[in-house]
Amino acid sequence: MKKNRLGEFQELILMTVVILKEEAYGNEIERYLENCLNERLSMGAIQTALKRMEEKGFLTSEWGEVTQKRGGKRKRIYTATPYAHRVLRDMKDLRVRMWNAMPDLEMGTT
Amino acid sequence: MSKHRNISPPRWPFRLLHYFLRPEYAEEIGGDLEERFQDDMERYYPAKARRLLIWEIIKLIRPALIRKVSGPARLNHFGMFKNDFKTIFRIIRKEKLYTGINVVGLTAGLSVALLILAYVHFEFSYETHNSNAKRVARITIDYLDGQTLIDQDCESYHLLGPIMKEEFPEVADYARAYRMWESVIKIDEKRFRASKVYAVDPSFLKIFDYPLINGDQSTALSGPLEAVLTESTALRFFGTLDVIGQTMWDSAIRNTLKVVGVIHDSPANTHFKFDMLTSYATMEPTVKKRESQWDSNDTFTYVLLNNGSQYKQFESSLERLTQKLTKEEKIKNERIIGQRIEDIHLYSHKSYEAEANGNATVVLFLFYVALLVIIIAIVNYINLATAKSLDRAKEVGIRKVVGSSKVQLKVRFFIESFFVNLVSGLLCVVLIYVLLNDFRQIAGLPADFTVFDNPLFWMVWGALILFSTLFAGSFPAFILSSFKPVAVLKGKFTHSSGGIMLRKSLVVFQFAIAIFLLIQTLTSTEQLQFMQEKDLGLDAERMIVVPAPVTAEEMKNFKPFTDQLLNTSAFSSVSLSTCIPGLPTSTMGSTTGINLIGATEEHNFNFFIYHIDHQFIPGMKIELAAGENYQETVHEDRVIVNEEAIRLWGIRDAKDALNKKIHLWGKERSITGVVKNFHQTGVKSGHIAMILMQSSGFGDYVSIRTAPGNIKEQLSEVRELYKANFDSPFDYFFLDQKFDSHFRSDQQFQTVFSVLSLFALLITCLGLFGLASFTVAKRRKEIGIRKVLGASVAQMIALLSTDFLRLISIAALVALPVTYLIVNNWLNTYAYRISITFWLFAGPAALVLIVAFITIFSRTLRASEMNPVSSLRDE
Repeated sequence: MKKNRLGEFQELILMTVVILKEEAYGNEIERYLENCLNERLSMGAIQTALKRMEEKGFLTSEWGEVTQKRGGKRKRIYTATPYAHRVLRDMKDLRVRMWNAMPDLEMGTT
Repeated sequence: MSKHRNISPPRWPFRLLHYFLRPEYAEEIGGDLEERFQDDMERYYPAKARRLLIWEIIKLIRPALIRKVSGPARLNHFGMFKNDFKTIFRIIRKEKLYTGINVVGLTAGLSVALLILAYVHFEFSYETHNSNAKRVARITIDYLDGQTLIDQDCESYHLLGPIMKEEFPEVADYARAYRMWESVIKIDEKRFRASKVYAVDPSFLKIFDYPLINGDQSTALSGPLEAVLTESTALRFFGTLDVIGQTMWDSAIRNTLKVVGVIHDSPANTHFKFDMLTSYATMEPTVKKRESQWDSNDTFTYVLLNNGSQYKQFESSLERLTQKLTKEEKIKNERIIGQRIEDIHLYSHKSYEAEANGNATVVLFLFYVALLVIIIAIVNYINLATAKSLDRAKEVGIRKVVGSSKVQLKVRFFIESFFVNLVSGLLCVVLIYVLLNDFRQIAGLPADFTVFDNPLFWMVWGALILFSTLFAGSFPAFILSSFKPVAVLKGKFTHSSGGIMLRKSLVVFQFAIAIFLLIQTLTSTEQLQFMQEKDLGLDAERMIVVPAPVTAEEMKNFKPFTDQLLNTSAFSSVSLSTCIPGLPTSTMGSTTGINLIGATEEHNFNFFIYHIDHQFIPGMKIELAAGENYQETVHEDRVIVNEEAIRLWGIRDAKDALNKKIHLWGKERSITGVVKNFHQTGVKSGHIAMILMQSSGFGDYVSIRTAPGNIKEQLSEVRELYKANFDSPFDYFFLDQKFDSHFRSDQQFQTVFSVLSLFALLITCLGLFGLASFTVAKRRKEIGIRKVLGASVAQMIALLSTDFLRLISIAALVALPVTYLIVNNWLNTYAYRISITFWLFAGPAALVLIVAFITIFSRTLRASEMNPVSSLRDE
């Protein structure tokens, strides 16, 4: 677990990739996340995370379609690997377990 | 979406992107960027979209996304750079002498330059801690005689501040600071002396930007009998900073003060330092009791302008005020002018300055010399590089044949220069760390003066390294890279005449500077000695000065105290006066426009006045030019003046002045004695016109002349008698040390300058040493052949040294006239200066020649004694 731990931002991107399915290319991921987080993200941050996760084997990618807006350049579509799905689920389980162990927040603050 | 116009994004950010981005990501990220740009175009205006695009691209520069420095995707020139570094390290290892000389020279040059720059920065940093500094001006008074300026006085009338605030629209506020007499502070039964005390308006704290660290800022100093202490004074008096509401008895105002605030100590870089402030309201009744409010200008006045740019307007307002007050006959022969407080420390040298100020000329002089020293070090680098150009020419030739371009070669030589400079820069940080403490003492900087935690220091450090890299690297970069490979490799290239000329002129330049620095050092040393040995017109040796007790009750014991001292054989005279020689003009009174009664011409000269008793003149061993000393009984209608005073009145012979009468302070007084001029304010400044009045048993200083003997024992005897007779705390100083303290700034300048010229000479000789080494190495074969043909060792040394010695002689010829001008100008700033003698100039020039010869000699001797076989056998 420790070796391949995901950063919080990487986890968000990974989940976005899973959600967007065939539409998961750089800009679409960015737009989706910007909507969720309500702030402008930098392409550098997104791309770095994508490349890192691809290196670690969370993602695979292949060339996609060309649009006129892109100046004739192809998209790169990302897909999450089964390994990534497993890690995501592990993380969710961990969170659920910990949330269950948490005392009621309202009570906890007093 | 369908309607959107496809505006093409700017191209250059994409070119930048392609330069650093990994090629395999180019299509994907490039496409994403263009798409995003189009989206932004729909959302924002075009300029913003472009800005966002550029910003986006800059943020793409991340380790994960840029090209790797090695492997198939590395930068194009990577191999080249790698090779450059490898060969640079090889050269450094091989040419230890060459590298050593460069590094030592540059390290020394950089360290000296950085230390001096730090000093210069400190001197120019005065008042910068004050956020209002640009808006604050000091009001000063010029004394005029017709149109001629007689004297300038920092202190002004206490009514001026209120008038200005009311009448000048540009003046926001004013603060007055009235210098208080030295007083004794009594807290319970403990007594302390308080020396730098000012009575100030409450606005003072605001204008000078001194927040209270304890106490109520809004009310502090607004009522009478309030005091604000600095941190260290509070600790000295009470041992704690929690002193609000404490009371203390002040002997100067004979009343009890209440502490209402504590502020930080005055910073080292302000012209106005103090230990304690009392409220102006404490003093105001005394001031208002005067017959006329326009009699004495004895208070500092600072005004705060609404806006720093209104200074011009303020100056013209002052002109109008001067005219108005002159017309109303409130002031006469005076001009009220302003002075920005930022300019006070370096440019103001008026009477009654609050602190001894610095001198911009001296500071700038040091600054230029520091630059010269670093230039000398850079010149060394260039010289050695040209001297070695023959060796490097082959390397350049081969590189060019293999396909190196000029630009690549230039980059290569700049990297080499950068490397040497960087190493020197790092060593110089170590050197500065070691030297900083000594430098602080030499330059008279405050004890908490540091350089390393100032970001500016590191910026200058970086800038100097860069500057030196570019300058030093430029010669090899531009000349060496232009060599023609064919000529070089065929062996036809034997020398570069341009290089030799450059080298020769640079050597001349270096030595000219070294000679100038040495002459200036010698001159300042001689001038300092001259001033220290100059006849003061009085005897300051073996004179103990004790501040007099402050209260009148205590003064009743003065006579017994004197008698007890004189009863022992250790003391020959005791005198009491309101001032003593060796103190600045700020400690005396002054009055302008004293004229002889019945004089045909009236002038408005300034006269300095203090009170002495009948023991003072014989006690100080001041000589009388005419007339007689005061008697023990006080005659108020008699005065003694000095020769300078009668000179201003147009009297040549002192005897003629006797029995002439003057009007002084509402009384007619006749001159009964004329003393020879003595150096009241030290020998740096000229004589001032003085009137010594007789005091009837009051004074601030007790001067005690001691007989030969153990001064320590005599001092403790004085202390015991003082304590037996008076309550005031005992304090003392030696008169000769007071006089010596006038030279402290000259001494500092002289020491700093000596160190600078020593470094300059050292670096210059290092360069010469390197050059001589290379020349000798180049001429090894020639030396061998000459020796085989019968040349003697002496002839060989002469042959090898003449070239250099000729250059140094030229340097001397160039340096001497320029130096003469500079040194002469510098000496003219002193009222009493030495005259320039032949040896003052010939000495340093000869010294440089000898040192240079020894430097060369060490190389040539070995070469000349060498067995010719060893140099000739390998061909």
